[in-house]
Amino acid sequence: MIRLRRSLAARVTAMFVLIVALAASGLGTYLYAHFVSEIERRDDTALLGKLRQIQLLLGRPGAAELLRSQPDLFRDTMSGQENSLVRFLAPDGTVLADINASGERYPVPPSAGPSPGRAAIAGWTGSRGDRGRVVAGSARLDGSPVTVVVARLYAERAAMFAAYRRHIAWAVALSALAAAVCSALMLHRGLRSLRTVASHAALVRPGTLAQRLDAGDAPSELLPLIDALNAMLERLQAGYERLSGFSADLAHEFRTPVANLLGQSQVMLAQPRGADEYEALLASNIEELERLARMIESMLFLARAEQDEVLPARQELDAPAELAKIADFYEGMAEERSLRLACTGGGTVLADPLLLRRALANLVSNAMRHADEGSIVTLHAQASAGATVLSVENTGAPIAPEHLPHLFERFYRADTARGNADGSTGLGLAIVRAIMDVHGGSAGVEVAGACIRFTLAFPTAGTVRGPDH
Amino acid sequence: MTILVIEDEPKTGDYLQRGLAESGFGVQLARNGRDGLAIAREGGVELVVLDVMLPGMDGWQVLEALRASPATEQIPVLFLTARDEVHDRVRGLELGADDYLVKPFAFVELVARIRTLLRRGPVREEELIHIGDLEIDVIRRRVRRAGTAIVLTAQEFALLHLLARRQGQVLSRALIASQVWDMNFDSDTNVIDAAVRRLRRKIDDPFPQKLIHTRRGMGYVCEVQAAGGA
Repeated sequence: MIRLRRSLAARVTAMFVLIVALAASGLGTYLYAHFVSEIERRDDTALLGKLRQIQLLLGRPGAAELLRSQPDLFRDTMSGQENSLVRFLAPDGTVLADINASGERYPVPPSAGPSPGRAAIAGWTGSRGDRGRVVAGSARLDGSPVTVVVARLYAERAAMFAAYRRHIAWAVALSALAAAVCSALMLHRGLRSLRTVASHAALVRPGTLAQRLDAGDAPSELLPLIDALNAMLERLQAGYERLSGFSADLAHEFRTPVANLLGQSQVMLAQPRGADEYEALLASNIEELERLARMIESMLFLARAEQDEVLPARQELDAPAELAKIADFYEGMAEERSLRLACTGGGTVLADPLLLRRALANLVSNAMRHADEGSIVTLHAQASAGATVLSVENTGAPIAPEHLPHLFERFYRADTARGNADGSTGLGLAIVRAIMDVHGGSAGVEVAGACIRFTLAFPTAGTVRGPDH
Repeated sequence: MTILVIEDEPKTGDYLQRGLAESGFGVQLARNGRDGLAIAREGGVELVVLDVMLPGMDGWQVLEALRASPATEQIPVLFLTARDEVHDRVRGLELGADDYLVKPFAFVELVARIRTLLRRGPVREEELIHIGDLEIDVIRRRVRRAGTAIVLTAQEFALLHLLARRQGQVLSRALIASQVWDMNFDSDTNVIDAAVRRLRRKIDDPFPQKLIHTRRGMGYVCEVQAAGGA
């Protein structure tokens, strides 16, 4: 029952049957009513015609004598029908003649003069329950006025109308049945493309994500669905590929520190060593392990940010104060590398303070790593309509333009030879981008000669998108 | 000072027991939640280091049981968890955990947190800190060594104050970044090294006795060491 109720085909069929049944019954009822009223109009016209005939007959000379001697003659003018009744009344109400073989009792309407219309006709019900019609009109019989009453019973009419109603009912039932069968067949055919889509979708596996559903001969109504499913597959495929690429990168990046740990420790254990050598080994191992721990932490952060599990706690922050804070943090390091950190600009920024600092710290540490000795690393803030842009700029070895689009990718290094000897995990800029994504903002990079500038655009209050709005 | 460590992972349990014992604590080790709870109920435990993922009775349940009994409800509990999802931390803190550490953590960090938890209560901020011939006037933010005034930047003073306040404790770089600069994420560790080098230039370099020492792989400690110390 539940399946039936939830089946689209069953529901559409039921609706269709209902519509056809309603339309057919409406049409049948209308035609029946029209038919009945037409028959009744004709009957009434015929009745008035009979009255007219009798009136003419009475106006002839010797009609009174004829009425007395051959009353049946008058009934014969009614085509000899048994169910035609005629009565003649004198002005004082005396019955002059009454042709009424079956002895029906019927009401006599008031006389409507020499030529009555349909309005003068009255209805009555015969002794066996049949419908009857009666009309009275005035005439002259040998110069004296008489009232002629003509009545008629329509015994066969009720049966005819009943048969007609039965036919209509059958016709309605048959059209509903035909509608049910036709619509069920049509729906089955019409939904075939839906089943095709479903069977195609059922074939999609992690390894076959590159496949797309065939929109070939699908009806136009299904095209948006197929397009949406294909777009979904595309996103899934991109995510899946990113994920598998990520695991490959991950394994690769983990290999180096793990190899160092294994190799160093095995070499050290191969011969008896002094305590200071063991100490040095342990300290070196700790450094490698710390790098591994940092990588794990960074990757967890990236994974969560991609699954929208990192929800920024946005606050209105003073941009120059945030820049100054980062500059202060890096002051010692800058001094050692003869760099200068300069903060310029102003405005406020709507961001999660922890995430903002993390992004800025990654950019500054990246800039300092690549800055020319003695140069200035500039931190700049600028608020404009729609976004506050923070930027970190340094001068250093030029970066080839082909690297630019990839700088924010995980483990991407413009200088492949450099590797991660400087302790960076290769995830810093990827984290920057992830942080900007969870803020609904964007991270960018531009190069002008030896000058490279990373920008962070944070949307302002009115334009913030994201899970908390 | 007895610390109860409840940890099922054999290596982790062993090194925690050893490391804490060497840091001067009495340590009892339980390999599962039920044993741990029994030890805590016997009394004498001053702090519990509790792993969340335990067989049978997990860390949450142990914590609930500890908090449900008047004999054990006052014992500070430090959670060790491999998961750092926010709701896990919130749940732990709601159940009455006093602190948590996410694995992997630096051992010195654990010791620092344990010391902080055990020191709870009226902590009196010292106004004048002496380390050897170094004198720090916390209120006036003045530093003198061997009678000579030393001028420090605000950042250098904050760093020195932290090291001096936690005299004798090894402070990890992450802890220093968090306490001095409010950088609560794994930042570039070289930054801390550079900052310490700057401080040392003013505090230690002009004097024969060094006060700020590097513990390779662990962090920094500020103390008067016997001559020839690391």
